[in-house]
Amino acid sequence: MSKLAISLTVNGVQRQALVEPNQTLTSLLRDELNLTGTKHGCGVGDCGCCTVILDGETVNSCLVLAVQAQGREVMTIEGLAQGIRLHPLQQAFVDHGAIQCGFCTPGMILSAKALLDRTPQPTRAEITKGLSGNLCRCTGYEKIVEAVQDAAGKMERG
Amino acid sequence: MLLPPFEYYRPSNLEQALALLREMGDQAHPLAGGTDLLVNLKLKKLAPKALLDLGGLEELKGSRADGGQVSLGALNSASRLASGGPHVPRLLAMGAGALGSPQVRNRATLGGNLVTARPAADLCLPLLALGARAVLTGPQGSREVSLDGYFQGPGYTVKEPGEILTRVLLEAPKPGQGGGYQKLGLRQALEIALVNVAAHLELEPDGKTIAMARVALGAVAPVPMLAPSAAQVLQGAKADEKSFTAAAQAAAADAKPIDDHRGSAAYRRDMARTLTLRALRQALAQAQGGKEVGA
Ligand SMILES: Cc1cc2nc3c(=O)[nH]c(=O)nc-3n(C[C@H](O)[C@H](O)[C@H](O)COP(=O)(O)OP(=O)(O)OC[C@H]3O[C@@H](n4cnc5c(N)ncnc54)[C@H](O)[C@@H]3O)c2cc1C
Ligand code: FES
Ligand code: FES
Repeated sequence: MSKLAISLTVNGVQRQALVEPNQTLTSLLRDELNLTGTKHGCGVGDCGCCTVILDGETVNSCLVLAVQAQGREVMTIEGLAQGIRLHPLQQAFVDHGAIQCGFCTPGMILSAKALLDRTPQPTRAEITKGLSGNLCRCTGYEKIVEAVQDAAGKMERG
Repeated sequence: MLLPPFEYYRPSNLEQALALLREMGDQAHPLAGGTDLLVNLKLKKLAPKALLDLGGLEELKGSRADGGQVSLGALNSASRLASGGPHVPRLLAMGAGALGSPQVRNRATLGGNLVTARPAADLCLPLLALGARAVLTGPQGSREVSLDGYFQGPGYTVKEPGEILTRVLLEAPKPGQGGGYQKLGLRQALEIALVNVAAHLELEPDGKTIAMARVALGAVAPVPMLAPSAAQVLQGAKADEKSFTAAAQAAAADAKPIDDHRGSAAYRRDMARTLTLRALRQALAQAQGGKEVGA
């Protein structure tokens, strides 16, 4: 197995990397690019804590090969804040106590972002459906849904 | 969980992909969305020498109307199918919207669902009910096979290892048609169905008589299956509760469920009846809605 050279855009920055064919996108982000906000949980698509946005769509990065990100655009949780200013979704998660251990949070917030990009004022049902690929063992989801509703309202008002 | 070592190829057209498959035989596995294949590699159920990424094959992309039929590329994702569009029948969109989770739907492909051939696969049931055909392309060219007969066992189909599933063909949607999709799981997302049913109805111009119907059942046999007796009961009958109840009984009798840790055979049979009834009601409402199916 020889390494493959890839180039991709991560959080707006052009990056180069040498990857093994069997390396996942999670491992590229965490182990090569030191973007450890993307978590590794089940590894098989069930929990969503490895969620990133690939060309505008959420994916489980544990089920994407690093080489498949060649030429594509990846957004991770690190790409959301502007300097020290949190993204409205991040701020709302903090304000509503929607974060306990925090392990699910990066994936949860990226799923919420992808939802709001498409549906800026989602109904409650649209929020729970949009977050249905992200498991949380701590919060009971209620505060997460509230945080997304709050952020949607604030983002609309600008 | 780590992936075992493999070589990675990304052919840029179908011809190259077929040549690579021929060279490597069953040592090379096509990779589409990876939501089945990469999981199976991680669980050490498979250890192919090479993965052949289909992502560069234009021949497997897009959807188009071709005379009286619709041709959907094998690489269409479940998300794209779920959001409908001019060529996607509503019944297929319903199944696609019920698959996995948003993240899984963004990767999972039409071709992958048909080749993996799970007994409860959410795209296989609507396609069976719609009378779809798969286009399999191999070194000798392409052949069209009806999905009725395509499924041979769990994860096992008539597709040869050297063949690639390139497209799915369907009759173009017409007025007077309707579809119903019912999926029962233990949870609302991220779950293969305990039982699922897809129903397709075509009404006569009178809007009341059933010209033709197909009912597909999932998770009640080793493969996604059509319920022939249900179709027989419905053909030529009035589209009403009485016919639907009789058809639901017939579908339950056609089912061949087994007991497993997720549910008993008796429960599954009973649910096949209930879900068939609901799917038929849903299909009728859609057919009488007057809106063109797929619109
Ligand atoms: C968390 C999770 C939840 C899921 N939930 C559901 C669910 O609710 N319902 C459901 O139906 N499925 C579900 N699945 C299974 C899976 O997502 C689907 O079967 C999906 O459609 C597979 O498509 P893919 O493109 O990811 O296939 P891949 O994993 O890329 O491929 C699957 C198989 O098909 C072969 N293959 C793929 N495309 C072709 C082609 N064009 N020609 C020849 N061979 C090909 C591959 O070699 C491989 O053997 C789930 C999976 C996960 C991980
Ligand atoms: S680690 Fe990717 S879905 Fe759980
Ligand atoms: S906050 Fe702990 S898993 Fe969600």
